[in-house]
Amino acid sequence: MQYQSQKIALNFYTAAVVLFLVQVLVGIIAAVQFMWPDFFILNFNTIRTLHINALVVWLLMGMMGATYYVVPEESETELWSVPLAQFQFWATVLAVGAVVAGYIVMGLNPQANTEIFGTRLLNEGREYIEAPRWADVLIVVSVLLFLFNNLMTILKTKKFTAVQGVLLGGLTFLALMYIPGMFYTKSMVKDQFWWWWVVHLWVEGSWEMIAAALLAFMLHKLLGADVKVLAKWMYIETGLVLFTGILGLGHHYYWIGTPKYWLWVGGIFSSLEPIPLLLMVWDAFRTTRETRGVVENRVGLYYTVAHAIFNFVGAGLWGVVHTLPQVNKWTHGTQITTAHGHLAFYGAYVLLILSMIYVTLPSLRGVKEFNQSKGYLAFWWMTISMVFIVITITGAGMVQTYLERLLGLDYVTVKAGYNLWFWIFRAIFGVGFLVGAAIIVKDFFTLGKQPLPARQP
Amino acid sequence: MSTNAAKNLFIYGSLLCFAVLVILTIDTMGTLDKRAPEITEKVDAGKKVWHKYDCIGCHTILGNGSYFAPDMTKATERKPKGYLKKFLLNPRSIKPDAAMPKLGLSEEEADNLIAFLEWTSKVDTNDWPPKPVLAAAAAAGTASTGQMLFRKNDCAACHQIAGLGGTAGPDLTHTGSKQPDIDWHIRHLKDPASVVENSAMPAFAHLSDEEIRMLAEYLITLK
Ligand code: HEC
Ligand code: HEC
Ligand code: HEM
Ligand code: HEM
Ligand SMILES: [Fe+2]
Repeated sequence: MQYQSQKIALNFYTAAVVLFLVQVLVGIIAAVQFMWPDFFILNFNTIRTLHINALVVWLLMGMMGATYYVVPEESETELWSVPLAQFQFWATVLAVGAVVAGYIVMGLNPQANTEIFGTRLLNEGREYIEAPRWADVLIVVSVLLFLFNNLMTILKTKKFTAVQGVLLGGLTFLALMYIPGMFYTKSMVKDQFWWWWVVHLWVEGSWEMIAAALLAFMLHKLLGADVKVLAKWMYIETGLVLFTGILGLGHHYYWIGTPKYWLWVGGIFSSLEPIPLLLMVWDAFRTTRETRGVVENRVGLYYTVAHAIFNFVGAGLWGVVHTLPQVNKWTHGTQITTAHGHLAFYGAYVLLILSMIYVTLPSLRGVKEFNQSKGYLAFWWMTISMVFIVITITGAGMVQTYLERLLGLDYVTVKAGYNLWFWIFRAIFGVGFLVGAAIIVKDFFTLGKQPLPARQP
Repeated sequence: MSTNAAKNLFIYGSLLCFAVLVILTIDTMGTLDKRAPEITEKVDAGKKVWHKYDCIGCHTILGNGSYFAPDMTKATERKPKGYLKKFLLNPRSIKPDAAMPKLGLSEEEADNLIAFLEWTSKVDTNDWPPKPVLAAAAAAGTASTGQMLFRKNDCAACHQIAGLGGTAGPDLTHTGSKQPDIDWHIRHLKDPASVVENSAMPAFAHLSDEEIRMLAEYLITLK
């Protein structure tokens, strides 16, 4: 680490990994509720809300931490204002805490979710963007402060690097795409139309831009690869991500009351979405192969390459199988969607943030060498468990699609009868995932703080 | 390709795509209200209830949401409103093993919700959800008059026989053993609440006596 101010990234990383643990824990509760709905004091809907909100928030915190690390390094200067970054961090933590408390209160007593100023006090009742309007405003302010701080840093030395451009561009796009979720519409169709602007243009637009930028940054930092070549491929990847992803939004407009032409627009463009993701895999392999010399941070590279691969498999492959309208007509809103959602989020963003942590943490802690074995151990616990969760849920989705959608059996019959074993296995593999997550969080807190084992001569 | 060319392609290509998206969005916004019934105050109030109780945290609607509970888009087409209202107010009072908890809705909220769900059921969704392609095959074959009436009146929306049918009411596979008295069935079909307290089953009093008898005869054969 060259710049003291980069240390602010540690605050964000800490909040991220703690929330990661919370997310996985409540995920297991949600999984058990599939078999036993009254398993916990909070109903399934509240547990699920906590699960997916913790996920989104910790990934955002991770991205912010990563950015606070990357920007000073690329700009070759200290952050514009550390107190501002600190304020932004604590304000975010406070707001998130208040929102979580609100969800729990609402879960225990739905009547507390009263209407104020035409919106809901505690829970907006819209998936992923459950956070109430007052919290939306706080989130936007926090992101704006964050963007401002980084922009001022860049302006200090005016070193406009490609990575900075795409990273900050992606983050600005992210902030802008939060706005379509911030107004009430009387029509449920319009509600879902704008809702997908937020959800889809985040994960298949702005977040992928951020991923491409961080991928280039990590490959450079780990391997010392040529910045020019990395930048070129980063532009091609992001260009294709947006070319396919923006109009790929149409794959959510097949059946929600929108006109038929979306079947064509969504089908064609979203089918192309895996291409840039495959390019990123190739980019990671090519750069690794072409760079000779010793890689010090092998575990960092391991996570980076794994991120590229699972981004392609989870988002690209598990996405493309149900993206054509002819298939989606039968699988829309089944467990197939959940299987894709898990592998895509895990591969594209969970592994992205964890790679950034492994790539930057050693220098943040001021060590060159560290014990890498925990990182590998955690990786395999998490990845094997996640792959099996996805296999079981894909199985459940296929059974559901066949029996409910094709044969016309009752939803509850399929869920409570035919798919019971899939729920049982998911819960078991969920515990395996928790083991991996616990190992990585422990490693985060101890990395570089213990003496290294004596070297073999 | 040079880095600069790649950069320009990325910037202008993306802006172009976004512009196309904006144009399509404007066009779509102009058509949406024509593809759905008018939104009355009651429908809007029902939508607010939907958000208030976070129904999307368990259910999908128009196929989007959570996958813990059945899709709500066509709920009012599958079940009569009287049943839905009773269920919404207190699921376990009429379906003891329901996974849906009692959420504390008021009568008015339940009525508004049903108006809202009736609205969504009439949205033009490009024929989603699709009709099961294999269901017709399962229903084929010879059937007695009672069996035909059972199908015609859609008893299977709520009842299962040998694994086929809904789960809102009890499984009828062995109802003839449980309740062998044909008169009980006749009275029950004409007015369920007269024999089962607080029954949520709709009355089939509009059927002729003959039809009711045929149905009841069929039911007692289910041993
Ligand atoms: C904690 C999860 C949960 C929440 C919250 C929830 N439901 Fe349900 N709901 C279910 C489940 C599960 C079923 C399937 C039947 C059963 O076993 O209870 C169901 C069934 C239904 C049914 C009957 C469907 C049918 O075809 O028989 C309706 C109608 C319904 N829910 C409406 C709602 C509405 C409206 C809300 C919001 C006010 C809501 N639900 C909130 C879990 C939930
Ligand atoms: C909207 C859902 C619904 C529909 C449609 C429906 N029922 Fe029911 N049925 C119920 C419910 C709920 C019960 C349990 C309460 C009761 O016994 O009245 C029930 C109970 C019964 C019982 C008693 C079963 C037992 O084990 O106690 C029989 C027999 C029956 N229904 C037959 C029929 C027939 C025949 C039809 C079609 C003509 C029909 N039902 C349509 C909901 C429905
Ligand atoms: C880049 C990362 C991606 C992530 C994190 C992601 C995540 C998700 C999630 C969470 C959902 C479910 C949304 C809900 O809860 O309602 C979803 C739906 C969907 N995704 Fe992705 N996705 C990604 C990329 C892709 C790609 C590249 C494709 C296609 C090639 C795709 C195709 C789909 C489709 C078709 C649906 C709708 C499923 C349905 O009809 O129910 N996704 N995605
Ligand atoms: C880092 C790992 C994980 C990620 C990225 C993740 C992501 C998500 C997402 C995006 C959703 C909502 C969208 C959807 O249902 O498709 C979801 C729902 C859910 N998750 Fe996870 N999750 C993770 C781990 C787990 C674990 C370990 C479990 C427990 C076994 C779990 C259980 C569930 C359940 C039960 C749901 C509700 C699904 C439904 O509505 O049917 N998740 N998760
Ligand atoms: Fe999408």
